[in-house]
Amino acid sequence: MLRTTTGVLARLTINESKTSSSAFALEFVRWRRKPRWLPVAKSKLYRVPERKEQNAEERAELMRLHNNYKLQMRSLRQYLREEVLRLNVTTTADHIVLTPEQEEAEFARCMQENETWNQKIAVERNERLLKERERQAVEIRERLEAARVREEERMERIEEIVRREKELAKTFITHENLETAIEQALANPVDYNFSIDLQGNIYRGRTTLPGGKGTPATSGVQDTEVQQTIEASN
Amino acid sequence: MSLSPSSGIGRYYKHSAKIIRFVRLGCTNRPFYHVVVMERRKNQHQPVIEQVGTYDPMPNQKNERLVSFNFERIRYWLGRGAHLSTPTAELLGIAGFLPIHPRTYMTAWRNRQKVAEDGTIEAKDPVEA
Repeated sequence: MLRTTTGVLARLTINESKTSSSAFALEFVRWRRKPRWLPVAKSKLYRVPERKEQNAEERAELMRLHNNYKLQMRSLRQYLREEVLRLNVTTTADHIVLTPEQEEAEFARCMQENETWNQKIAVERNERLLKERERQAVEIRERLEAARVREEERMERIEEIVRREKELAKTFITHENLETAIEQALANPVDYNFSIDLQGNIYRGRTTLPGGKGTPATSGVQDTEVQQTIEASN
Repeated sequence: MSLSPSSGIGRYYKHSAKIIRFVRLGCTNRPFYHVVVMERRKNQHQPVIEQVGTYDPMPNQKNERLVSFNFERIRYWLGRGAHLSTPTAELLGIAGFLPIHPRTYMTAWRNRQKVAEDGTIEAKDPVEA
């Protein structure tokens, strides 16, 4: 962490020579280990750490002991390595060792056992399959019956439609009676236009005038009611 | 504090360096160690390959420090080329499985020297983890 000390300017003027090349006097505040990129602290600048004095006698003794120890450990490790290899070869921990005759007998016994199991299961399986086949036959029969009923209903519906269409076909306009139909239509013009006044009176026809032909003498409903319905519709 | 079980769920590469060493369990001011096999480069609180012993460094009421080892598995792992940490080697040396470690001798003679100098019995821990 960096903290700019106060009075930087004042100190710059007074003892400029004391500050480093940097324009700011920087002070490092630390509460943990010094980061690697920071310089050596001023108080530790010319400190030479003392070497721990070594006892030559002790050193020689330790050297001897260590040499012995390493030698012993090396041979011990070699022995253990060979032991592990030997155990890997001879172990029967994860597999069973049998003579060929025993294996044969074991195999025959297993085959016999398997045969009996197969027979037992075959009987069960046949029973089950028979039952399943019966059930399937019943199901198929039911479904066929249902399909037949459905088809009949459908045919009935179709017949109904055809009958209705045939009845309607009597009033159709065809090529033969096209002329007569046109003449009839021309002879009987129909006017769907109408107008309506505020009292709800309907005036049929495009050219009808109030008081003329087609004018309703009196409206069938009350005036107020008509007014309300008109407002509501608006 | 380790949350991984000591039953040995640690995964390891076939040819990575394994080591038999301590894992510090227990709590503040009450150390307790498991002797485990694990990959050498791993942190001690990672899952271990196998636990092969325990070590309680604090003397009990009868002034005993209890150690247990699974020597069969230690033999196996040493035969597989596992390394040994120094404290473990010292313990195994004292237990009689390995030759006595030189550091054990060193601690012993330094303790003796200290006793001879001060006249006080303030022996240092023979096995410091």
